[in-house]
Amino acid sequence: MLLAALLASLLVQGSASVGRAPVPAAAPAIERRTIAIDEAFAARAHLKIGDLVSVSSRPGAIGDTVTVGAIVRRGADPSEVARGDLRVRMHLDQLQTIAGYGDRVDRFAIATTPAADIPRLIDRINRVAFGFKAYRSRDIAVETSRTFQVVSRFHRAIGIITIVASSVFLLCIMVLKVEERRRDIAALRLMGISRATVVRAIVLEAAVVAVLGSALGVVLGWVVSLFVNWHYQALYRTPLEFSMVTPPTVVFAVSLSLALGIVAGVVASLRLVRTPPLALFGR
Amino acid sequence: MSAGVDSHIVSLRDVRRDYALGAERVHALQGVTLDVERGDYVAIVGPSGCGKSTLLNLIGVIDQPTSGTVAIAGRRVDAMSDREATQFRLRNIGFVFQRFYLLPILSALENVALPMAEAKVSKGVRTERAAELLKYVGLGNRERHRPSELSGGEQQRVAIARALANGPTLLLADEPTGELDARTGAEIISLFQRLNADGTTIVVVTHDEDLASAARRKVHMRDGRVVDA
Ligand SMILES: Nc1ncnc2c1ncn2[C@@H]1O[C@H](COP(=O)(O)OP(=O)(O)OP(=O)(O)O)[C@@H](O)[C@H]1O
Ligand SMILES: [Mg+2]
Repeated sequence: MLLAALLASLLVQGSASVGRAPVPAAAPAIERRTIAIDEAFAARAHLKIGDLVSVSSRPGAIGDTVTVGAIVRRGADPSEVARGDLRVRMHLDQLQTIAGYGDRVDRFAIATTPAADIPRLIDRINRVAFGFKAYRSRDIAVETSRTFQVVSRFHRAIGIITIVASSVFLLCIMVLKVEERRRDIAALRLMGISRATVVRAIVLEAAVVAVLGSALGVVLGWVVSLFVNWHYQALYRTPLEFSMVTPPTVVFAVSLSLALGIVAGVVASLRLVRTPPLALFGR
Repeated sequence: MSAGVDSHIVSLRDVRRDYALGAERVHALQGVTLDVERGDYVAIVGPSGCGKSTLLNLIGVIDQPTSGTVAIAGRRVDAMSDREATQFRLRNIGFVFQRFYLLPILSALENVALPMAEAKVSKGVRTERAAELLKYVGLGNRERHRPSELSGGEQQRVAIARALANGPTLLLADEPTGELDARTGAEIISLFQRLNADGTTIVVVTHDEDLASAARRKVHMRDGRVVDA
């Protein structure tokens, strides 16, 4: 019952091969079996739906002639992106015959309805199907995505280094920029403009610049993401999103930038405002 | 304070100002006593380094004497805190610098209105007054111009309008014609005369003979002392 429920999505390993079948001259209306192939495979072998192909377990051997019934787009699975293998999906019985594998399967997948009680199902399979061990696909994904966790941690480290370095840079720029205005500020102070007003003005300006800057950065990031996704999705034929600008990213970027801008503004303006105005003029 | 102080807008008594220069002490002012009456127009002249700017800074409450007393408009200003001094300058002193120091991002009108904003004058009033002041200095048609779009003489006139913004008791200027050619300098000189005629008390420090001669009174200084008042 379980087996009948779905097409087993098994990898055709090196043992099976697919070749273009010679088109039969006057093919009567035979009910041909169908296979489904990957989009990437279809592109590479120039196959389209309805084409006849011959499948066999060894290259060159006489095999079954089947129809390409479907071209499958791969799911957004990061672990498959860089793999070059080509996939063919066959009806299980035919695959067993061709592979000479008998009535055996190594792995099979079960699709569940959204309402299914998955833990109970897994439990039942593990009790009933002796010799099989059932896992949730999510757990398998976690297991196979260890690499990605490492990569992700690495990315985070790069991100933190970038943020720290650019904060220091921003602070220096800010101090320098404000320092450039020391004479203007000295003149303001001599005119009777209070320290508080000077600090407030500088901090406000820094905050506005920081917010505008981060907004610009977000737009830039978004545009670059579009480009990156467009390029790699075409390259790997996958709907996977390689780069994303999510609302939390935007919120984080803008608030971090605002906080940095304010801190830089305060640091820079306090430095100046603490110096007596006459000393700011220099002599 | 003693009687009659009211007619003296500036009153310095035996004022000394030393600067520490490494281990040495520079005696920039060595006992200056000086009075300036309300409505007067005083030019402080003397060779370079004799202490003119130092004296003006003390009168302008941007520096404090090492000893002696300074009173402006009847108030002792020689030991004010920074906050008090800032407030005092805002309300009582108008400064004109050799190099204008207008804020480059603000228009002429906004530059003039700035000290009034600090003094919490409402926006409508300060815009109106800033426009009036610009008209007074002959720049009624330059309100929207940025400093970079104005000539040196025009910038200095904006700076003078700004110095007048809060109706100061005293207008102070250190070499106001120092960066200007003779003709624009002459415009500033006549503007100062008009201001004084309209009741503003002015103290200028200058090397400019024409400017000094336009004043009602010259104060000569040498080596940190007033040699004839
Ligand atoms: N901040 C300071 N530190 C040390 N010495 C100073 C300082 N300010 C002024 N002096 C010294 O005090 C003396 C008087 O300086 P001041 O600037 O008042 O002269 P001045 O008459 O305005 O000269 P100038 O006509 O060249 O502007 C000079 O010897 C100067 O070197
Ligand atoms: Mg000087």
